[in-house]
Amino acid sequence: MTLSSDELSEIRSILGREPTDAELLMFEAQWSEHCSYKSSRHYLKLLPSEGVDVLIGPGRDAAAVRVFRDFAVVLKIESHNHPSAVDPYNGASTGVGGVVRDILTLGAKPIALLDLLFFGNPRDKHANWLIKGVVRGISDYGNRIGVPVVSGMVWFDESYNKYPLVNVACIGIVEISKIINGVPEDGDYIVIIGNTTGRDGILGSSFASKPLDLQEDSSYLPAIQVGNPLIEKLIIDFLVEAAELRILKHVKDLGGGGLATAIAELTSNYGLGAYILLERLHTREPDLRPEEMLVSESQERMLLVVSREDFRKVEELLSKYNLQYSVAGYLDRSGLIKVYYNGKLVACIPADKLARPQVRFRSVEIPEHYIKLHNNDNLVLPEVKNLNEVMLKLLSSPNIASKEWIYSQYDYEVGVRTVVKPGFGDAAVLRLIDVDGRVGIAVKGDGNPRYVFLNPFRGAANAVAECYRNLISVGSKPIAIVDELNAGNPEKPTHYWYFTEMVKGISWCASELKLPVVGGKVSFYNEDLSRGVMVKPVATIVGVGVIDDIAKSLTFELKREGNYVLVVGTTYPELGGSEYLHSCLGLELGEVPLPRPSTEVFNGEYISKLVELGYVEAVHDIDIGGLAVAIAEMCITGMNGARLDLRRLPSRGCSRVEELLFSETQARYLVEVKRDVVDSVLELATHYGVDVGILGEVGGDSLVLTWGNSKIINVSLDELREAYMNSLESLMSW
Amino acid sequence: MPKVAVIKFPGTNADLDVVWVLRNVSGLEARSIWYADFNVKGWDAVVIPGGFSYGDWLRAGAIAARSDVISELIKALDNGTPILGICNGFQILTEAGLLPGALLPNESCRFICRWVKVVFTNPRGPWLKLASDGLIVDMPIAHGEGRYYVESTSYQEKISKLPTIKYYGYNPNGSLYDIAGIGSEDGLVVGLMPHPERASEPELTPRKLSCGGRVIWLSIAKSLKEGW
Repeated sequence: MTLSSDELSEIRSILGREPTDAELLMFEAQWSEHCSYKSSRHYLKLLPSEGVDVLIGPGRDAAAVRVFRDFAVVLKIESHNHPSAVDPYNGASTGVGGVVRDILTLGAKPIALLDLLFFGNPRDKHANWLIKGVVRGISDYGNRIGVPVVSGMVWFDESYNKYPLVNVACIGIVEISKIINGVPEDGDYIVIIGNTTGRDGILGSSFASKPLDLQEDSSYLPAIQVGNPLIEKLIIDFLVEAAELRILKHVKDLGGGGLATAIAELTSNYGLGAYILLERLHTREPDLRPEEMLVSESQERMLLVVSREDFRKVEELLSKYNLQYSVAGYLDRSGLIKVYYNGKLVACIPADKLARPQVRFRSVEIPEHYIKLHNNDNLVLPEVKNLNEVMLKLLSSPNIASKEWIYSQYDYEVGVRTVVKPGFGDAAVLRLIDVDGRVGIAVKGDGNPRYVFLNPFRGAANAVAECYRNLISVGSKPIAIVDELNAGNPEKPTHYWYFTEMVKGISWCASELKLPVVGGKVSFYNEDLSRGVMVKPVATIVGVGVIDDIAKSLTFELKREGNYVLVVGTTYPELGGSEYLHSCLGLELGEVPLPRPSTEVFNGEYISKLVELGYVEAVHDIDIGGLAVAIAEMCITGMNGARLDLRRLPSRGCSRVEELLFSETQARYLVEVKRDVVDSVLELATHYGVDVGILGEVGGDSLVLTWGNSKIINVSLDELREAYMNSLESLMSW
Repeated sequence: MPKVAVIKFPGTNADLDVVWVLRNVSGLEARSIWYADFNVKGWDAVVIPGGFSYGDWLRAGAIAARSDVISELIKALDNGTPILGICNGFQILTEAGLLPGALLPNESCRFICRWVKVVFTNPRGPWLKLASDGLIVDMPIAHGEGRYYVESTSYQEKISKLPTIKYYGYNPNGSLYDIAGIGSEDGLVVGLMPHPERASEPELTPRKLSCGGRVIWLSIAKSLKEGW
């Protein structure tokens, strides 16, 4: 029981009597943090969510943003942290299923998935098992439903050894005129479709693996016997076709909180009531109790609101796809949710009271380690003798090294939309064959738990900025983001403080970058109870950008010998919280890089201009590992060497070569420029007020970084490639 | 204009990809047809696209290969209608016995998505008309059960003489004889694990690699218009 005694007495006063068993479970489900946002709602109001192109913002199952005049990109982010910690395979795969169904509620076709995964040390036995399970779960489910996993991020940190964070986002596309966005009315049917309701996920706390249904009714054989992702795929095909036919008024996912939550949200949003007959539900077990049916979280189920006139057509389409369904009741004007089971009234609750529990104001306290760690007082850099070794060590750090071992298990090409594929660009680029095949979108997910741990405000703000840069790099114009706030226990003030600071950081940076936060999710209680610690909190950001001509989209591969390599943006001595300190010196401290949103806008607009004019052949944002890692990644993927002189790097206040190489200052890019346009590129820089430096040129079979004539780093392409491409696989196959 | 049916089973996910390429690369009429509605009449060629028909339950392709669609396909073959199976479509064709051999789980026991090089040998028939013997091209694979298996005697006696598409340089899944795809004697039926529909347009093809699937889509267009 997660309801407090205060909440229990509140429930008694709402009902004017003792609650029934069913009512109690419905309140418990709906008033859970997960469903009601009771500890986060008042902070989330800070996030800027409006924009001229935002068609549907926060509050619905997914958000919609107008693109290319008549179309909408639909997006949603979710977390499946708790389930993935217990059962990584099923936890991660059902996370994919849930977020895809959210996209479907608007009638959009899901076209891309992104995973943001936070894992423990692959050398730790338990963490290794969790990683393999999560990746396999996403792979098996995503591949089977035919939605490509095109992007995301992966981070490794010991605090996730027993408790990974699994965030997943989905992107959909729909013609605006076909968005399912009708107003439910008195008399409309409530139809539950898809999988049977069973005893799995009762109140989200039961994690039994799901056995295959072996129903005897052979007419359902193909749909039932083959397991869950197949049902999800049939639901996708059904909903996309139903949206096309415009026969559905409104759709909701049966996710967290199950039927109780879906009905509470539906009725309260439209001032309606509902009349539910539970015995009508298609169930997995014959002895399911009514209260279990209400809060079961069995997967692959959705709620349709269908007008009586269209019901026949809906039935026909459901049987085409062999989908099971039941008419569970109808909507009325009572404002009450009345639930009957075999003629007996088991619950009768005012919808608005169930849907919205009172806000819980939680107290906040700055944790001690924050005060100790987040300044640079303790940061004394040792002499480094061999920078070649440092370079290779950084490239083989799993946070930096190629994630091919993971993304090669995902079918990232299904849909014939994936123009910029995983591993080659700062973001994925998808062409929209749904529009005309010329236009496209870019998508990317970002987050940095080390930054957030050391300074949650800056860490969250920098995640927004990084997402913005990644979208710019591939040649897109960023239009919207969604966020997932993964935090600890809101009842503990030092945990809750991270949450509040992350919201403020996102809110500030998104406003400065004029990026509406169109949706999001909060995940609290991310604690490793076996060690009694909070796992590192993190704000993850998933962003979308638009591209008018996908032929102009860019990867970061160095393309041509003789081209110039330029840096855009000034480097500051900002090694606090860097990958260099962490993986080379074993330090996790210091003040993290300052978010610089106004510089981001200047530099971002400059890069966009260069892309538009066709002056650049490769763009790469400078991220963890700094300039040195960024150029190495460009060399490795492009299979071209480069020779750069650090004396030409615009910098301020740097006194050490490590700062030039590994500082993680924001708002910087590396670009590959054709020789004949370099003058125009420099001229434009003056015009845009942007700092640039011609660092050197592409060529040779090694990466050489010099200070004037003296070589600082000189590593062959083969060595770079070996460190970067094979590290994760060898860590995993341990 | 010749018309191509692209069959969609429950769980098929690349039907619209193939329709897109048939329309935009081959310049043919094409439609995705729900398996239960498929009737061979009126179609000039048939493609069974990739995906996870029936969720790969039992074995990849096993259930679809026992559906009514197969008897329609046999009728189609009797009429001389070309049939192409891609990925799960290839698995279905081998399960149905319309192509020899079987497809087993990858040697690595993992799903693999990556670009590979393949070489055409003994190309003939409507799907491979324009491919020259020994042509080497790039295409992506994306499968968990793509390891081709066939008895060695059957290979020596029969298969070595058939049209084949073989992995070149790198065999990603442990297929015997590097077989990535295979055709019937006359080349009327072809099945392959790589995805030609994902390797037919420069927009989707990585730098320095070739649009290796194009030759198949151009072949069928020419064959349906001029014969083969």
